[in-house]
Amino acid sequence: MRIRPRHWRILSQSVFLFIFLGLFFSLSDSRVPGALASAMLALDPLTAVSTALADWTLPRWSWVGLIVLMVTALVGRVFCGWVCPLGTLQHLMSWISGPEKRKRAKINRYRPYFALKYIVLLVLLGLAALGSNHTGWLDPIPLLHRAFAAGVRPLWMGTAVPAGWVAFGLLAAILLLSAWMPRFFCRVLCPLGALLGLFARLAPIRIRRLDDSCTGCTLCVLPCQGADEPLGDHRVSECHVCLNCLEVCSENSLFYRMAGDGDVVSQTPDLNVGRRRFLLTAAATAVVAPVVQVAGGGFEGSSHDAIRPPGALDEEAFLSRCITCGACSASCPTGVIASDFGKTGLGGLFTPVLNMRHGWCEPSCIRCGEVCPTSALSLLAPEAKQAIGKPAEVTIGTAFMDRGRCLPWAMDTPCIVCEEMCPTSPKAIEFETVQSKDREGKTITLQRPVIIPGLCTGCGLCENRCPVGGQAAIRVSSVGESRDPRNQMLQRVIVTADLEG
Amino acid sequence: MKETPDAVKAYIAISRRKLIGTWGPAAIAGLALGGTGFALHGRQGRHTPPLPDSALALTDWRMDPDDRRLAIAGGGGPAENLRRALGAMGGIGAFVKQGDKVAIKPNCAWDRRPQQAANTNPDLVAELVRQCLAAGASKVTVLDNSCHDPGRAFDRSGIAASVKEAGGVCAHQNNVSTEVRNLGGSVLGSWEVLRPIVEADRVINVPIVKHHSLSRVTVGMKNWMGAIVGSRPNLHQRLAQACAELGDAFRPTLTVVDATRILTGGGPTGGSLAQVKNTDLLAVATDPVAGDAWGASLLGIEPQDMPLLAIAERLGVGNSDWRSVEISV
Repeated sequence: MRIRPRHWRILSQSVFLFIFLGLFFSLSDSRVPGALASAMLALDPLTAVSTALADWTLPRWSWVGLIVLMVTALVGRVFCGWVCPLGTLQHLMSWISGPEKRKRAKINRYRPYFALKYIVLLVLLGLAALGSNHTGWLDPIPLLHRAFAAGVRPLWMGTAVPAGWVAFGLLAAILLLSAWMPRFFCRVLCPLGALLGLFARLAPIRIRRLDDSCTGCTLCVLPCQGADEPLGDHRVSECHVCLNCLEVCSENSLFYRMAGDGDVVSQTPDLNVGRRRFLLTAAATAVVAPVVQVAGGGFEGSSHDAIRPPGALDEEAFLSRCITCGACSASCPTGVIASDFGKTGLGGLFTPVLNMRHGWCEPSCIRCGEVCPTSALSLLAPEAKQAIGKPAEVTIGTAFMDRGRCLPWAMDTPCIVCEEMCPTSPKAIEFETVQSKDREGKTITLQRPVIIPGLCTGCGLCENRCPVGGQAAIRVSSVGESRDPRNQMLQRVIVTADLEG
Repeated sequence: MKETPDAVKAYIAISRRKLIGTWGPAAIAGLALGGTGFALHGRQGRHTPPLPDSALALTDWRMDPDDRRLAIAGGGGPAENLRRALGAMGGIGAFVKQGDKVAIKPNCAWDRRPQQAANTNPDLVAELVRQCLAAGASKVTVLDNSCHDPGRAFDRSGIAASVKEAGGVCAHQNNVSTEVRNLGGSVLGSWEVLRPIVEADRVINVPIVKHHSLSRVTVGMKNWMGAIVGSRPNLHQRLAQACAELGDAFRPTLTVVDATRILTGGGPTGGSLAQVKNTDLLAVATDPVAGDAWGASLLGIEPQDMPLLAIAERLGVGNSDWRSVEISV
């Protein structure tokens, strides 16, 4: 078999798919550096662009995405055709569905509605510029991470949540659609493809067609992944550089190269968006952005039991950085980090919240901050969350006792599990010892747990182990979380020595 | 795939114009992206860290830190009482100079009428504004961070109308901004302070004497609670400490203790006229602790029963033995 350009592309796609899977599974392996485990997310240009627009910063390794944009401005959407694992999975799907499905001129011609992805990009970047970062909803790299983190991993962790089914359902829908039309998502919806498409229009190296030898036979249209029509005025913004067209050309008239002398000189066709639609979309985005931000979420509207992972920035800053990739969730050894659906509103859809019935925040673990590609969760020192001999520097909430459900409080039944589990030293849970009588009139001694709020880190181990099923008798609220000075209930004590008494 | 020799030639023979035309846009995009990367990499972003304790401290508005006097007047109604007590202290001219910006801090926290004695008497506030303006003050701002809706509190208390008539300006948390100041202490640290106070040349505290369920009585030092903006409810876990530290941080030019009517129960909001006592008294003090002690005495509370006064004395705010510094009028 002759090695053709297409084969190199398939090799690259396979390698990157395995890299994606390998890195995904290494998210939870603390031997792998966190930045490496989330490298695919740092490579994603939309991570950089959306964070830069929403929070005016390029945290950690996100600047690498800008290099991908530079490369795209030279050689086109190579990322889409050669790297993107969601593209590869769709590719695989249409390959499985058979050649009679995927190699049709009818399905692989350009359609005006493919311009929708530029509208999607405009809306998402507009929202980001107004402070709410939601590119991750449709950005393929976070989307794929999330589908695995929220939809697949919880299945063997026993921590499935509704958001996981939505996240995985989105992936399933994308793959099913690609069985009908090759790379339907890439062509119609992908905001990353749209962004790369804008830069690809500048590329000096692209598919070129020799004018004198091309017979206009349309063979090149049949296997075209991007529906970019190498036959006519080549739509370089749509081309995934899959290079299928090169080898099917019976006249050897197609090249992937800088412009040669005999090449067709063509204008790059416009994006089909139109000024009117552009302005209308921009205006509509500006109107909708505040609604998205406050609808049931934000600092004011989020549920009191929406506990953010340790090291999270304050809510506004957090939402401007979180790309909802679920890397934190996939990295969590106890499975406590769930994908949100409702507790933090529309703006918080798919953002990480802790479900203490699924797990707890392990005191010395800082993995979620290590893997977060945008530092929406900051990198913490391993001691930061621990309260040994002093209150913890980083807390995520405070536990509250529900005396109506607690066994020793409500039912005169001895139980000390929350106190036993409490990992702070001194413990944030103490006992009030009382004598009581059981039904036979026998005197029993009860140790009733009482919380010392200033020592509690909100780790949730008490709630996780509480024997009261369903709603535990001790539950963590977000109040007292160190990330936000507005969400405090205790008086701040700066110097204890000067206090009266 | 086989390259045609023509195509190879085309590459070698490319003109400079064509080279720039082909590579230029990509090069410009690359430079722009690189510049963006350098500009934004590692920036802090919008995350707001806790208020910095590196903020400035407040100005000391006292004329003379060693001046510790208290003048009491009664029987003439709030305006006349103020004129007499101020006269005994040397007149307003000893405290407010030509061109001074003056901030007056009454208690205007509640949606209550003057008769209910939850807010400082409006006639007293108005007379104080007039006196300051007569002494040459360039601007007099009467302000509070009200607990009820500030618009209603300023209207119902009568303060909005009387201050306007006297030529002053009213300000509250909804119509002026704040500035971060480090109030120091062991439980305060940095707080947002209403800007007219931060910017004032002279500050006059005009509290009213009221019952309070936790501190027993609220007079002057607790009144500073209305000058700051933030999680004030949290300060009630160590209220005496917090109020004494507020007294340490805010050093007013004068404290005018309003006891035209005092609230003997149900404070600090009150409401029932049965709990209001008409005393028709007033004290002007340069010693805030003496002012508070005198106010407490009207409710039959002695200094030793109020931890707030002991802490304030220890912090050097003043002297609770008001009888030793009293000037009778």
